[in-house]
Amino acid sequence: MVRLITHNLLGCHVKNCNANNFPLEFKNARVELVEAEFNPDFLRNFLPKIEWKALVDTARQLGDTSLPVEQPEMVDDDFLKALHHVLLEVHVEEGAMVCPNCKHEYPISNGIPNMVRSYSFEGYNTDPLTIPTKLLAEHEIA
Amino acid sequence: MPPRALEAVRIESNEDPADFEAKNVHEIYDAIASHFSSTRYKPWPIIAKFLSDLPTGWVGFDSGTGNGKYLPLPADRPGAIWTIGMDRSRNLLDIARRAGEGKVVREVVWGNVLDNPWRPNAFDYAISIATIHHLATHERRKLAVQRLIQAVSADHGRVLIYVWAIEQDELSKRKVSVEDDPEANEKGKDVMVPWVLSKTLAKPSPETSQPEVYNRYYHMFAKGELAALASDAAKDLGLSVGSRESCSSTPGVEIVQEGWERSNYYVELRRWSK
Repeated sequence: MVRLITHNLLGCHVKNCNANNFPLEFKNARVELVEAEFNPDFLRNFLPKIEWKALVDTARQLGDTSLPVEQPEMVDDDFLKALHHVLLEVHVEEGAMVCPNCKHEYPISNGIPNMVRSYSFEGYNTDPLTIPTKLLAEHEIA
Repeated sequence: MPPRALEAVRIESNEDPADFEAKNVHEIYDAIASHFSSTRYKPWPIIAKFLSDLPTGWVGFDSGTGNGKYLPLPADRPGAIWTIGMDRSRNLLDIARRAGEGKVVREVVWGNVLDNPWRPNAFDYAISIATIHHLATHERRKLAVQRLIQAVSADHGRVLIYVWAIEQDELSKRKVSVEDDPEANEKGKDVMVPWVLSKTLAKPSPETSQPEVYNRYYHMFAKGELAALASDAAKDLGLSVGSRESCSSTPGVEIVQEGWERSNYYVELRRWSK
């Protein structure tokens, strides 16, 4: 169950992949629709924090065109219900997420995405003292 | 049963801490997942309150979610906030997906707490409960704290961290001996904590008989160590440490509460900018 709410928060974290690494693109996605409880207050407050274009584009790739390209000025119940469905009821159960920049694939199995990056293979952990500075250079605090 | 003294462990300098954690933490949790989960069902009061006080519409993540027992909270406002669980143990995640009552499926991600798979500052809050003490060096523990700070909003992000304490209370099954280790009261102590696997809950393994006792690595925290770690982690990210009013440079992190609760140390951080 990689839902689009989670997908909207994930980015690629391969070493030195720092630009154009969001959103990840679904590949061979097997989608299941699972009903979830509608909570308009949650959605209204979460709405400003969504990366809207990423959400709309990804939903369209998965075949759901119910969301407008621009966030509407008037947030009514119909819109919130469409948003609810896209964010919380569309589950990607199998497939992968691919970084648009470095093409790294994050596999999804039984609804769980594998975001593990092993530091051993990345060459980070030979000297643990170097970890923070190296990584900080890549991800500046906003 | 009287509390049992824990065996001290020393991580050799030529040992790769990632390999050490893989062998002495990740593999163990995968092996004991279902039994472990059956013993972890009650949320700690301070954590329940932290989650219950968050505004509706907030989204966060639980770094080292284990069996996902915090994912369904707050109990009185289900669905008001959304917590995504992350853990390095795939077997625990299968349990965490189904955490809580009913058929609700939780969002979980397979990842290492040192990984940074999130869009920067995407979350409103992050919790890490009984997890960072499984990292084998001070630098790695600091990096894990930095991951939490980096993942939450620079304006209002909140972070709550719990770790095991050297000071275990009278209800604890464990005790940490510090008499022979004068540095432990300052720097904490590395120990192995045995897990005796219940036969009935063990995953059946036809070829090999399962060992009964698994030893997990823990760094038991000394008094003041966790808050100092959090403060160092923030400073190394170039953040001021203190209240918004007291600091001249922005952005910053304030330690809003810290303490000891039932054999654990905890610290709560809030990010601010002006």
